[in-house]
Amino acid sequence: MTSIEVTNLQKTFQTKRKAAGLSGSMRALIKPEYSLIEAVHNLSFRMEAGELLGFIGPNGAGKSTTIKMLTGILHPSGGEAKVLGFIPWKERQKLAYHIGTVFGQRPQLWYHLPAMDTFILFGKIYELDDKETKKRIEYLTEAFEIKDLLDVPVRKLSLGQRMRCEVAASLLHRPKLLLLDEPSIGLDVVAKQHIRDAIKRMNQEEGVGVLLTSHDAGDLEAMCRRVIVVNHGQIVYEDKVSNLKRKFLTTKLVEVRYAEEVSKDYAIDGVEILKVGHYGVKLKFDTTKTSVDSVMSHLSGAGDIVDITISDPPLEEVIAKIYQEANG
Amino acid sequence: MKTFSKYWSIFQITLINSLAYPGELVGRSLMIIPFMWIFYQLWKVTFSAAGADIINGLTLRDTLWYLMLAETIELGRPPIARTMSENVKDGSIAYILNKPYDFLLYQFSTAMGETIFRAILNAVFGGLTVLWLVGAPKHPEGFLIALPAIFGAWILHFCINAMIGLSAFVVEDVSAFTWIYQKLAFIFGGMLIPLDFYPQWLQTLAKFLPFSSAIYGPARLFVTPTAQFFINVMSLQLAWIFVLTFLLVVAYRRGLTQLTVNGG
Repeated sequence: MTSIEVTNLQKTFQTKRKAAGLSGSMRALIKPEYSLIEAVHNLSFRMEAGELLGFIGPNGAGKSTTIKMLTGILHPSGGEAKVLGFIPWKERQKLAYHIGTVFGQRPQLWYHLPAMDTFILFGKIYELDDKETKKRIEYLTEAFEIKDLLDVPVRKLSLGQRMRCEVAASLLHRPKLLLLDEPSIGLDVVAKQHIRDAIKRMNQEEGVGVLLTSHDAGDLEAMCRRVIVVNHGQIVYEDKVSNLKRKFLTTKLVEVRYAEEVSKDYAIDGVEILKVGHYGVKLKFDTTKTSVDSVMSHLSGAGDIVDITISDPPLEEVIAKIYQEANG
Repeated sequence: MKTFSKYWSIFQITLINSLAYPGELVGRSLMIIPFMWIFYQLWKVTFSAAGADIINGLTLRDTLWYLMLAETIELGRPPIARTMSENVKDGSIAYILNKPYDFLLYQFSTAMGETIFRAILNAVFGGLTVLWLVGAPKHPEGFLIALPAIFGAWILHFCINAMIGLSAFVVEDVSAFTWIYQKLAFIFGGMLIPLDFYPQWLQTLAKFLPFSSAIYGPARLFVTPTAQFFINVMSLQLAWIFVLTFLLVVAYRRGLTQLTVNGG
C-alpha cells in the first residue's frame, strides 16, 4: 500500500528583493522588485506504508517545504500529492487524525506546562477516550523512557529530553505516518540514539511509516532503508541507503597504531595522509584507485601493528559527492 | 460532544498556562490603578469646571465606573493579532495548522483562556480603586446584566484582531494595523471619553461602528442597566458579530492559500 504519492509537485515563493543600505531600502519602497524562488521543482516520489524513508539535502533544498505541503499547511503552486489517500491541502483536518509531525526546531509542547498537560490536551484534540489516552501515555512513556520527565515544566527539560517528549506526543493518536523534520537537530550523540531507537521501535511494533528529513547522516544510517536526496527542489538521488553507501562510499579511512616508534615514509600512490605521529598514522585512500591489500601490506611492513581501525567517511561527505555529481 | 470538549480543553490549558507567571499577571493588572486615578483627576476637574453634577446623563461616579469596565474589557483581551503574526514569523503556525481542529475556534479558545484571569484581576483592582475614589456603583446588579455584552465584546475584539492577525499570512508584520485598530478603538469605542460626551453627529457615527459594541456598549450597560438599553446593545452587538465572523471566515479561507511558513 502506498502512503505518500507525489507527482510533479511544485512550490514557488515570491520574495521581495532589496539592495543593501538606506538607498536600497528607499528604492525598494518606491519600486519594489520581486524574485521567484522555486523551492520545490517537479518533485515526484512514492513512499510505501510502514517504510522508513530518508529525505535529505542541504539547507534550502526544499525538504521542509515539501513536508509542509504533505501535511497540508502549504498549498503547492502545481502538481499533485496524496498522503494516506487524502489530498493534504484540501483535506488537512481529516489527514491530521492519521499523521504525526515533529518540526525539530519548534516546540509543540506547551512550554510553561509539564508535558503531561500537552499529552492530555492532544488526547482531547485527537478525540481519544480518557482511558485510551492514559493507556497510550503509559506505553509511550515506556518506549521513550520519559516517565520522570512528564511532570516537569517543558522549559526545564534538556533539548534531548524535550525532543523525546515531542516525538512521543506526536505518536499519541497512533498515526499511520510520522513526518519528522530535523528531529535530531542540536542533540548530542546519546540523545540522538535514544530518539532513533524509539522511532525504530514504533516502526517495528506499530508499523508507523516515517518520512525523515535530516542533516545528520547518522539518522539515515540508523533508521532509514531508502533515501531520497534533494537539491534545489529536485531529486538528485534515490536508492537504498546501502546502495548509496556502496556507490558513493569509495574512500576508506585507516588509522593504525604501532607497538613501537616508527619512522617511515607512508606516502604511496593514491593515499592521502591525514595525520602522522611517532606511533601511528591516519590516512585516507580511494578503493577504486588503490587496493586495500596494497595499503595494508605497506602499513604492516612498517612495524608491529597493535591497533587498526578501518572506517567509512561520514555520510555528509557522500552527500556532498552526490551534489557535486548532480551539479556537474 | 467530543468537538466541544476539544475546544474546552484548549481553553483550559491556556487558562492554566496564563498562571505560569503569576507575578507578571498581577503586576500587569496593577496598571489599571494609576489609570483610574488619572481618569478620576481628569473627570473631577471637568465636572467641576462645567459646574454640573450630571453631563449628558452621566455623573462623575457613573463615568468612573464606566471607564473601569471599558478599561477592563480592553486590558483583559490578549494581543491575538500580534500572537498570530509571531506564529507566522517564527514558523510555529505549522504546528497550529496541522492538528484536527478548526483554526479559528482554536484561536478563539486560546484567546478566551488568556482573557479570563487578566479581566478578573483588572476588574478587581480597577473596581477597588474606583470604589475608594467615588464609592459604590449606582447599579451593582448592572455588572451581571452587562456580562453577556462583555463576552460579546471579546468575541468582537477577537473577530477584528484575528482578521488583522490573518493579514500576517501575507504581510507577516501586523504592528501597524494593530496600532491603527487600537487608536480607533480608543476614539470610537469611548475608551478615554464616554461617547455621550461627543458632539451629536460623532456620537451617532461612533455608536453605530463595531468599536462601540466592543467597548462602549457593555460599559454603558453597566451604569444604565435598563431592559431597553440591554436589547439595543445586544442586538447591535450580535449584528456586528454575525457580519465580522462571516468576514473573518472568508479572510481565513483566502489567507490559507497565501500562507508562507518561515524557517527550514
